[in-house]
Amino acid sequence: MLKSLAENLLTPLPMCFALGIFSKMIHGGIKIPKELYYSISIYLLMSIGIIGGHELAHEYQAHGVSTIWKPALVTLFLGCLTPITAYGALRYLGRLNIADAAGIAAHYGSTSAVTFIVADGFCNDKGYKPDGYLPTLVTILECPGIAVALVIGAVAMGMQKAAEAAAKSKEGQIDGAPEAEGGNLWEALHEVITGQSLMLMVGLLVIGFISTFAISDAKFHPYEEFFYNKNMIFRGALCIFLLEMGLVTGERLGDLLKVGPFLIAFGIIMPLFHGFLGAFLGYMAGMNLGGCTVLAAIVSSASYIAAPPAVRLTLPEANPTLSMTASLAITFPFNIALGIPIYFWMAQTIGAK
Amino acid sequence: MQLHTLKKVTIITEDSLKQSLLKKIIELGATGYTCRQCEGYGSRGARSDQFTRNVEVELICSEVVANDILTYVSHHYFDNYACIAWISDVQVVRGDRYTSTKKS
Repeated sequence: MLKSLAENLLTPLPMCFALGIFSKMIHGGIKIPKELYYSISIYLLMSIGIIGGHELAHEYQAHGVSTIWKPALVTLFLGCLTPITAYGALRYLGRLNIADAAGIAAHYGSTSAVTFIVADGFCNDKGYKPDGYLPTLVTILECPGIAVALVIGAVAMGMQKAAEAAAKSKEGQIDGAPEAEGGNLWEALHEVITGQSLMLMVGLLVIGFISTFAISDAKFHPYEEFFYNKNMIFRGALCIFLLEMGLVTGERLGDLLKVGPFLIAFGIIMPLFHGFLGAFLGYMAGMNLGGCTVLAAIVSSASYIAAPPAVRLTLPEANPTLSMTASLAITFPFNIALGIPIYFWMAQTIGAK
Repeated sequence: MQLHTLKKVTIITEDSLKQSLLKKIIELGATGYTCRQCEGYGSRGARSDQFTRNVEVELICSEVVANDILTYVSHHYFDNYACIAWISDVQVVRGDRYTSTKKS
């Protein structure tokens, strides 16, 4: 396992990420234009979608839904479970307030597309190609975790406010307040569902799926070349993206001191726990070794694109520094550098092939 | 040339609030707005990367509407969000253009 950890660290992707952090630490001059960052993220999301849809169609043509429904259900279950475990740990072990606990839980309930891409590449390089339906699972995982965590937050805050109001006045008039929260919640979820990342991934997934049936593989080939090209353009774009992620993370390293040891431990232990659940349940659902590893990686990963604005809208009291530092400066680098080889090892130990 | 004195409201806040803020501004009686992405530094630290973007919203309106907007912003945003807002006097040529809605 140690050899596999070292092998993973010495690939260009984690090293580009490290270069970004290093450049920020020494106030170096690397600057990725924001427009390039947005362009690459659009490219990566479209790529996950269209290639995922294409492979899903192949899987469907070969086995129907028989191989897909169990992993899909497992993913949906994990998507709803991880915010609850995260909230429990934060609220009752970490003694965080409701808003912060629910806000961070929303990040950990959702997923990170880049972690998916890196995990997928890791397994392919190892020669264990993940099941073709995994990009579909990423889209399933994106939304429910955020919804569950925000509902937990809204309900817990409502109960707390009700209790406070009841304590203050005997009448305890609290009606009206929960409704206002509900309106905000719906607005936030609407933003996640119609947000760029999910629209692009799901949209291109559908396009890739339908067009695989409509046109021959030869005609689909040019799209595959552009979006994947045996990983060539794709991996290069990913290097630039990770360099920028490193720059952003480096900027936030100072925040690590502010968030305290509990959150740092949480950002490492929680993913390991969620990753184990992902690998184990993936194995039970009949996924292959690569598939279990990637599922573990996406279940363990924390969102830093879809979740933050939704949390900002619904739980304004939650401190965004805590959640962004945990997901971006702790969990994301941990997964890229060490987590993915560990999940691979977990899946292997459980018995996935 | 006839000039009219009206109010200009400027709000700089978190980008994630943009949609709901713009909706509210129109509800409160503004006839339009201009917004742009921006970055800055303040009591909530640097707000300059793609995860902490700011938006600046500007609009011209009557004094009543300007006060309503500033009241709304101060009640809803000042406690928990990175947000500053102010009102200034401006001279415009086509005064009725900015006050033609029901609330002027």
